[in-house]
Amino acid sequence: MSNFPEKKIFEEADNWIKNNKKVSLATVVQTWGSSPLGIGSRMIVSEDGNFLGSVSGGCVEAKVVEECISLMKNKKICKKIDFNVSNENAWEIGLACGGDISIYIEEIK
Amino acid sequence: MKLEIIRETLKNKSLKKEFALITNLINGESEIFFPGHNLSEMFSKYSGEIEKIFNLNKNGIIENSEIFVQTYKNPIKVIIVGAVDISIYLIDFAKNLNFEIIIVDPRGYFASKERFPDTKIVNKWPNEAFDEIETNSKTAMVTLTHDPKIDDPSLQYALKNKFFYIGALGSKKTHEKRCSRLVEAGFKQAELEKINGPIGIKLGGKSPSEIALSIISQLVSEKYKNKI
Repeated sequence: MSNFPEKKIFEEADNWIKNNKKVSLATVVQTWGSSPLGIGSRMIVSEDGNFLGSVSGGCVEAKVVEECISLMKNKKICKKIDFNVSNENAWEIGLACGGDISIYIEEIK
Repeated sequence: MKLEIIRETLKNKSLKKEFALITNLINGESEIFFPGHNLSEMFSKYSGEIEKIFNLNKNGIIENSEIFVQTYKNPIKVIIVGAVDISIYLIDFAKNLNFEIIIVDPRGYFASKERFPDTKIVNKWPNEAFDEIETNSKTAMVTLTHDPKIDDPSLQYALKNKFFYIGALGSKKTHEKRCSRLVEAGFKQAELEKINGPIGIKLGGKSPSEIALSIISQLVSEKYKNKI
């Protein structure tokens, strides 16, 4: 019985794609200051808005889901999104812990 | 990222291989890196940096590049000696913490599949059991039987093989007696400092689940102290 954090996420990504869904992968690639989850935390998002895993412990997930859906709709390959606490949207987005994170999103093909 | 790479990652993990998943953040191309193997042209000039991040067991973007490296190393192995009540809770906690658990207990009525479904059980006396379990400095030993016939040889094995964590259940008095037996067996007092006895961090709880929580907390803390 040995697990790794993304086991469920990767297995589920495979299942969703087998069921003819478009799926994106979001990964924390950089952090500055205090961030809720470490570099390498991952989450998957399907085109219908279903998601599994976490990239910030709940702070920016809603925005990441939105960005992933739009990435797939617009048939883009990938995008890096920076969430900055000094940004006006910080409270709205909810990164209240005072850290900055960079999240990379890409469609799984 | 290609689905194929995700499937390969799952496969390599199930084969207990150690590797890194590398992504070019500009075009989304990914590749799997195995230490000592060559990479494709796109990534090959970063091999040195990739290897460095991999060896440090870290994840991150290589400086002045758009190359992201995610390291996949094998989880820490925890040998639990004693298929007791506390072990059931320990396994429950460990499930979400990326530890590989092996139970050793020669007493078949304790170490049954019914009590421990989905767990690797070695139904043998410690010294025979350790012949078939691969161990290294990323292995931890937790002894829980209270029975010197079972606990002592396990502790001796862990001390000799430089396990990063050794913990033994029992009161201060029990631990003192245990230490004198180990000194009689030829171990030095200083070596015995390596044993966490009584096991676990101080939480104050006495129930099996609370003891399991205090043990697992100490294990996680020692893992980071030892930079594993």
